[in-house]
Amino acid sequence: MLDTFEILTTSGVVLWSKTYSSISPAIINSLITNVFIEEKTLPGVGIADDVSAANNPPYKYDQHTVKWTTVKELGIIFVAVYRSLLHLSWIDKLVDNIKTLFVDLYGDQLKKPHTTVVECHFDDYFDQQVRKLEKTALNQDTRTAESSAFLEEAPPSISESIDEPPPLPGLLSRGQSKNNHRDLTYDSTPGMTPDTSRPSTPAGHLLTAKGGPGGKGSRRARKAANAPIYASSGDEAYSKKGRAARSAAPKKGRKWDTDGLADEDSDTPLDYSAPANGATSGEEEGSNRPGAVEAVDQATWGSKTGKGQFVLKDLDDQVHSILASADVKKENSAAASTGLVGSSLSAIEGLFRNVVGGKTLTKADLEKAMKGMEDHLLNKNVAREAAVRLCEGVERELIGVKTASFESVQAKIQTAMESSLRKILTPTSSLDLLREIDAVTSPSTLSLQKRRPYVISIVGVNGVGKSTNLSKICFFLLQNKYKVLVVACDTFRSGAVEQLAVHVRNLTELTAREGGLVSLYQKGYGKDAANVAKDAVSYAASEVYDVVLIDTAGRRHNDQRLMSSLEKFAKFASPDKILMVGEALVGTDSVAQARNFNEAFGSGRGLDGFIISKCDTVGDMVGTLVSMVHATNVPVLFVGVGQHYSDLRNLSVKWAVGKLLSSN
Amino acid sequence: MSTLTEWLQALMSPSPTALAIALLLALTIPIFLHSFVFRASGLTTLPSILLIGPSGSGKTSLLTLFERRTQPAQTHTSQSPISVECDLPVGTTANSDKYRSVNDPTNLVHKRFLLIDTPGHGKLRHHALDTLTNPQNLRGIIFLVDSATLSASDEGLRQTADYLHDVLLTLQKRTESSSKAAKNLKEIPLLIAANKMDLFTALPAALVKSSLEAEISKVRVSRSKGLLDSGIGMEDEEKDEWLGEVGSKEFKFTQMEEFDVLIEVVGGNVSGGEGPVTEKWWKWISERL
Repeated sequence: MLDTFEILTTSGVVLWSKTYSSISPAIINSLITNVFIEEKTLPGVGIADDVSAANNPPYKYDQHTVKWTTVKELGIIFVAVYRSLLHLSWIDKLVDNIKTLFVDLYGDQLKKPHTTVVECHFDDYFDQQVRKLEKTALNQDTRTAESSAFLEEAPPSISESIDEPPPLPGLLSRGQSKNNHRDLTYDSTPGMTPDTSRPSTPAGHLLTAKGGPGGKGSRRARKAANAPIYASSGDEAYSKKGRAARSAAPKKGRKWDTDGLADEDSDTPLDYSAPANGATSGEEEGSNRPGAVEAVDQATWGSKTGKGQFVLKDLDDQVHSILASADVKKENSAAASTGLVGSSLSAIEGLFRNVVGGKTLTKADLEKAMKGMEDHLLNKNVAREAAVRLCEGVERELIGVKTASFESVQAKIQTAMESSLRKILTPTSSLDLLREIDAVTSPSTLSLQKRRPYVISIVGVNGVGKSTNLSKICFFLLQNKYKVLVVACDTFRSGAVEQLAVHVRNLTELTAREGGLVSLYQKGYGKDAANVAKDAVSYAASEVYDVVLIDTAGRRHNDQRLMSSLEKFAKFASPDKILMVGEALVGTDSVAQARNFNEAFGSGRGLDGFIISKCDTVGDMVGTLVSMVHATNVPVLFVGVGQHYSDLRNLSVKWAVGKLLSSN
Repeated sequence: MSTLTEWLQALMSPSPTALAIALLLALTIPIFLHSFVFRASGLTTLPSILLIGPSGSGKTSLLTLFERRTQPAQTHTSQSPISVECDLPVGTTANSDKYRSVNDPTNLVHKRFLLIDTPGHGKLRHHALDTLTNPQNLRGIIFLVDSATLSASDEGLRQTADYLHDVLLTLQKRTESSSKAAKNLKEIPLLIAANKMDLFTALPAALVKSSLEAEISKVRVSRSKGLLDSGIGMEDEEKDEWLGEVGSKEFKFTQMEEFDVLIEVVGGNVSGGEGPVTEKWWKWISERL
């Protein structure tokens, strides 16, 4: 069963909510931070408009699954939370229907400025929707069993209909309710087909327990009488269905059309088969199609019998008309711009609007400019994957937005890209390394923590400058009068330990006057790096060092054998910070590097920051910054800008964004 | 050709139609232009109070409480700023109305102001800082803190102090900023509203003040020691990024008075067992209007 349904604004105010069993607010908060703000799943997804809940990836958090959808124009989010154990096939449909209803009923109130109060009496509408969809799911479930034998002859076709024009003439003639559900059929994810083998079994359990409403039993009986063979054993049917769904995949579309046409004037059993087929091809569709048929029946029955559950008949009608009109509107907008005169007029208006502003952006408007922006980013050495995703995010954000007065599409994209880049590069929390070190090495007397050295380890691909950047950090720490232990864990490459020894000697001489103290911990070559690191950390603790800097061997990020040893290393040395050095010169590979290293430390441990080295060698082309951060959501801690020990910088987001967007 | 000259003649001749058209154009074009250019900006801006603070400190809750009076709405993490029109409650008089007669009919109309909520998430703080650098009739800033997370060695204290440091530094540097509105901001009061006083672990207001001051001292030291930002060349002059009195060892909020930033720390709670306790915050607001 549904746990909670909430309607909230992007500014964080809950407009309406219905709670069946109370859940921690942390669930929705984490949805907002992870999906909308940090965009860990898909960039720009939070502000994309008109996406059915089925197309938004469900968010899982602590045994709960969250389904959501947004309305960009009004800045509201619809969230449904339920236990991950349950398999509620009708949730997507519910979220979408509620969205349509709520926007239609209270859209005007939501547009009012300077207020957060929305007067809404939405409970009835919501209850009605839940009841209806639940019932539909229940019906569909029984029907699935009854009619699945049909599949041998009439294979499921709906999965095909996703990309096709309206294929349901049979259902079309059935009256207004057809509109509710047809559109959603196209929205449903193509990835549904693999799921066929388990359509709504858990849901069936739960829902059958409730018992069907009185009127329906008779109808089912009637249907069973009409088609007695189909009501055969469910178990057998299930297995058949799975097979049928798989085997008959290629020629679905045609089948459906002929079926549908035949249905129109022939008798009922065939007619019922159509929705039943739909039901098996994916749980979401299944819940839609029969719903359409059901709704009409229910309305007429309600007027005849006037049973308890049809008290809300007026509400039903209103809901239906709202849903139907919304669908009609959608269709109209799709079929808009007819005629030569109309199109040329709109083209002229578009040109005019492009100069003056106030143009509502469409995908076509943006296409060319977005291509230009993508090329621009690629020229700045942003990896293709990151560039494409960034542009998609910006496009999703901009479609449907009006440009301001005297603002061209170009300028709009520029500003949107700027804010999007700024958002990506800005770290979620402060990156003050010195204060973190202080907090660990000299904990306040009130806290129960014991003093220990702060451990930083540095990883990366061969030759990106791990040792060099380590010594730069070391220099920075020494200037701040920390006692630093440098650990040589590159026990593989000959000369690596000696290289560090030279750095340590130089640093000692450079900072001797300022009172820094640095020494090298090394165990020679051929030892296990993780053990050396562990010994070094305990040595540092006993000798009262402040910071331990661990250098590791360079490794290729797609070499499983070398990468797997990192997990052990992270466990043994348990570093406070794992920094990855990436060079600004690397191009497309940066994404894979960042991702593989981020995942190499086992579950629950990732990178804590990047050091982007050799930034002085690339000029404006600092795209690697974006590629790496974009792939992993790990912030850039330092930027290497030269050959000297002092050439280490904090990342200035403004500087980076400026460089990325500058044109020359 | 002849038609063209005829047309021109008709237009240039002092006929009543031509005059009427000319008059119409002369009158409507400025109006049209005005409405087009000034469409976006409202006529009058209400005095505004800015709500800032780290995520989870209760900004949006406070906003809804002030709007609805009785109790706050349920809230989640904000993603976008919002401004709401609020009235001063009955019994509080705005500072600007102090000398009005009791029987003045304008007293019956509540003093209205805009309360601007900003998201506190690390990636979205630019909303708040933008409002600070380009304020519109800004009368005061409320910095909300969650006083239950401010005990020493708590991560919350560090985050809060970081944010407060950034905000104060922006205010301190407002005279150098390019925007005229920020320069015109003569005196800016800042209320540190220690929220969630109803919780058992909450620190009292005095302790909130001292622990924040101590933590900001640490922030400013480590910032001064930290690395330079990328993009700052060697030839650029060293910018003064030191918050408060130069050379002082401990940071005190009183040091900000030199920059006309008046800081007060007042406790209260938005939600809680015995209902919201916000009278002191209302009083502070009324004194700023």
